[in-house]
Amino acid sequence: MEQPRRITDSFPRRRRRGPGRPPGRLKDRKEKDKAKAKDKAQLKVRECPRAPSQPPLDPALMEMLRRFDLSWEYGPCSGITRLQRWERAQELGLSPPGPIRDALLEHSDNPDVTYRWVWDGLGW
Amino acid sequence: MFSEQAAPTAQGLLAPPSGEPPTFPRLAVAGYSDLSQPFRLGERSFCRQYAHVYAVRLAGMRPLLERRARGRWGEDIALRRLSELQEGEKCCVVGTLFKAMELQPSILQEISEEHNLVPQPPLPKYIQPCDELMLEDELQRIKLEGAIDVQRLVTGTIVAVFGCEEEDGRFLVEDHCLADLPPPLPWSGPSSDRFVLLASGLGLGSMSGEALLSTQLLVDVVTGQLGAEGEQSCAAHITRVILAGNLLSQNTQSRDTINKAKYLTKKTQAASVEAVKMLDEILLQLCSSVPVDVMPGEFDPTNYTLPQQPLHRCMLPLASAYATLRLVTNPYQASLDGVRFLGTSGQNISDIFKYSSMDDYLEILEWTLLAGHISPTAPDTLGCYPFYKSDPFILTECPHVYFCGNAPRFQSKLLQGKEGQRVLLVAVPDFSATQTACLVNLRDLSCQPITFSSFGADSED
Repeated sequence: MEQPRRITDSFPRRRRRGPGRPPGRLKDRKEKDKAKAKDKAQLKVRECPRAPSQPPLDPALMEMLRRFDLSWEYGPCSGITRLQRWERAQELGLSPPGPIRDALLEHSDNPDVTYRWVWDGLGW
Repeated sequence: MFSEQAAPTAQGLLAPPSGEPPTFPRLAVAGYSDLSQPFRLGERSFCRQYAHVYAVRLAGMRPLLERRARGRWGEDIALRRLSELQEGEKCCVVGTLFKAMELQPSILQEISEEHNLVPQPPLPKYIQPCDELMLEDELQRIKLEGAIDVQRLVTGTIVAVFGCEEEDGRFLVEDHCLADLPPPLPWSGPSSDRFVLLASGLGLGSMSGEALLSTQLLVDVVTGQLGAEGEQSCAAHITRVILAGNLLSQNTQSRDTINKAKYLTKKTQAASVEAVKMLDEILLQLCSSVPVDVMPGEFDPTNYTLPQQPLHRCMLPLASAYATLRLVTNPYQASLDGVRFLGTSGQNISDIFKYSSMDDYLEILEWTLLAGHISPTAPDTLGCYPFYKSDPFILTECPHVYFCGNAPRFQSKLLQGKEGQRVLLVAVPDFSATQTACLVNLRDLSCQPITFSSFGADSED
């Protein structure tokens, strides 16, 4: 059964304990929840909202973008999108590689591609 | 200008009024274009760090400095990055300067108020003999020693140093060079006398009424309501007035009301409200007669960081009705009658004054032109917007008139460059303190002060 998508799906799901429940009961609930999660289809989303029909990203592409982020010639990479950084490097005459820009424009709807590489989901 | 041409007609004031009073039409503006577009910020985003400003500053000025280094020390000198330095090899490195100063105000020391430590009071200068200079490029930094004036230079300047690395990791400098004057602009100035009046630091709202009389005299002279026919015909040659910042006085900035309880401050209004109303009335008189460019300054109601955005026209309802009023940004660049003007309200110069051994405002103004950057100390000690794409304070072309407002006294100098640059440097004095404004003649780039002194409190009359 396909659950209708709600706007609150983009927030992490937290288990809400009912009023007046003693904390000791949590263990049972965890096991109950685990069993439930195995049965149901994966619908918990933890990262920023993504269109459901997107294919998983090519790891070679992500590796190329990561190397672009970490190369020091094009300046600092934090706080600006990769496309902004590419265009700044182009204007300063540092000749950034062209395939990076093509990849950025091709996947411009995917936030993992457009923003800078983050370390384990953290970063700015 | 005024005294030579006006004197013969002074007797006209003692004659009976003539039937047809003579009128002198003001010289029309031949060509004006506002070139401060790089200083206008559209949508502002502050979720970036300042590393981008320094990175684009170095990347933007590196080619120019490499060219200057080659021209000065020979075509075949070795240009190295700090990571490629070898001990004992004479080479040239281009990088950003950082001056480690013990007395520099630090936010961490301000927070130390919590531990009941007395915070450092503001000093006129923060330099000390034990300050150190470091050179930073994209990856590393190195301490500089030798033939480099540590006291004079400030953080954020892009320099090229020539020397070699020592055993203990310091760089012994034999010579250094700055970016030098930017390339010259072609000259297409007017062939007849045309004047621009530069004034700054009107200081309205300052509780003392003396400066108001001088301000009113200034307005009357410019609008031609003062003096005999000679003075009026001279005033008709003034084609523009530029007010370079600090239109409001520092007294309007009192922040006592912030710490008081709300019920005590409910009926009080900010001191700047009355001052802005006075400014509106003064600008109304000026705008009805001459085009006026109003630049914001340190104490004016606009944003604090450079580049300061123009004052909002809703604050000046009477004067905004005139198209001659132009509200412009703080570093202001424009082309008036073919002459390129570039100037600030003085925050950049006074900030360098605090962190350098240079004492003379005109000397600092000339130094910023030679360093190729309007304000090298931003964003270190002077607030600056976190640019990421390009640094708009880098000087790419040499202006014809380069001014700074709110200087302690009037100074001006005509600078000649090696590539044919001719720059008039003007330190516009603070009007509320000196009652002096400057008249720049666009035909021959000369500048003269004009003082509107009234009877002061210490005069015997």
